[in-house]
Amino acid sequence: MQDNHALGEMAEFHWLMEMLQTVDVGLVVLDRTFRIKLWNGFMESHSGMLPSQVRGKCLFDLFPEVDRKWFSSKARPVFELRNRAFMIWEQRPYLLKFPNYRPITGTEDVMYQNITLSPLTSTTGKVEDICMMIYDVTDVAAGKKLLESAQVTLSELNERAGG
Amino acid sequence: MFSVLICDDSQVARKQVAKCLPSDWEVAVHFAKHGEEAVAALREGKGQMLLLDLNMPVMDGYQVLEAIQKEKLDTAVIVISGDIQPEAHERVRKLGALDFIEKPIKPERLHKLLIQNGIFQEKAAVEKPQLDRLEPAIRDCYQEITNIAMGQAGDHLARILNVFVKLPIPNVNLIEASELTMMLQDIEDKETVSGICQGFVGPGICGEALFILSDSSFNDVAKIMDIRDEVDDRVQLELLMDAANILIGTCLNGLATQLDMHFSQGHPVVLGQHRNIAELINTNKTRWRRTLAIELSYGLEGYKVQCDLILLVTEESMKIMNDKLSHLLED
Repeated sequence: MQDNHALGEMAEFHWLMEMLQTVDVGLVVLDRTFRIKLWNGFMESHSGMLPSQVRGKCLFDLFPEVDRKWFSSKARPVFELRNRAFMIWEQRPYLLKFPNYRPITGTEDVMYQNITLSPLTSTTGKVEDICMMIYDVTDVAAGKKLLESAQVTLSELNERAGG
Repeated sequence: MFSVLICDDSQVARKQVAKCLPSDWEVAVHFAKHGEEAVAALREGKGQMLLLDLNMPVMDGYQVLEAIQKEKLDTAVIVISGDIQPEAHERVRKLGALDFIEKPIKPERLHKLLIQNGIFQEKAAVEKPQLDRLEPAIRDCYQEITNIAMGQAGDHLARILNVFVKLPIPNVNLIEASELTMMLQDIEDKETVSGICQGFVGPGICGEALFILSDSSFNDVAKIMDIRDEVDDRVQLELLMDAANILIGTCLNGLATQLDMHFSQGHPVVLGQHRNIAELINTNKTRWRRTLAIELSYGLEGYKVQCDLILLVTEESMKIMNDKLSHLLED
């Protein structure tokens, strides 16, 4: 009976992990010194780096393109105030330079990203780690850029017609 | 939706005219500071009706009327002016204005004219539901929980920025779609603003948080945040996002704790930078009719910084919130 229960919990843990691995959102767990503790399948596929290659390494060493001061300042309220932090593609098109998910039919070269940082409370009740979620918003960004350029063209045409 | 353009060089007058529009009239209200702005707005179709002042800089009311005739712009014009000379009345009528209202404008006079000219039809009075106003006890309750949440948000902001935050009294109201623009208009009229909105959902509750920062605040915010670079658009967006993250996040956390629930937050969306407040939220005004609006306006002591946080919660969500808060309502 006891064994069955333990087995059930194991199975549950197994499929929970499988979901984390396959969900189409980048999931990274970082500690206070920005060392990587978790790196899911999305991150592995898009970066080409295996979890074993990144585990325990500092995010800024692996990705020199990430502005350390900027990212740390965004993470500060998450650690200190348990507040979620949001970064959107309008601020920076991407945090980590990943190629477009659709390399053939996509219009952009890189993946535009929205980033959410969320606090993770340890068993002692303190925030020792944060979870970083990376969303692919390339289509949204491309659509908005297209709309804006269309609006500019339209107002130019309007001006010409009016003048 | 029917669009109304209010053109007056005085901010006070613009507000007053907007307030005189029938409250149950669903219209998009636009503003112009002088004749040239008005004509430009009319060309964009932003004024099926124009409420026009006469004496203005750049281009006065008479010139606007002439331009409307010349360009055959489709708009119904009512002149609102302090010029009470009979000559003025006659001249504007000859230039195609429907009617003339003398300042100070009175709502009854405007309503009568609108009905006379077939621009606005009064709805039967019975149509108004009873629940129009918030019960005082419930309003009190919302005000109290916001007070607590807001205090926490202020404290967090103060700790991150190292400044003293002046806490406002939260303004809680049940508002109609048409009133939102007007409410925002009250916040800032003479200057441009930048805004962020973020949706949030909890079990049975959904709403949006709007964060609005007046553009003149940016230099001081940059000083506080110790930013040495030139404060360009990109830096301003960073500042806007940082402040919005902290205020919206902690305020929602505070509310969620008191409601004993958890809110998920969507990705923030930039409403616009350096825009007119009316332009920020003109989209899809028709999808909702009434909403609970909690308005908070923060200031920082010693700095010229003004920001507003507005939490909008759908009418349906209020039932659940009231249930959750029922322990506070009991004596």
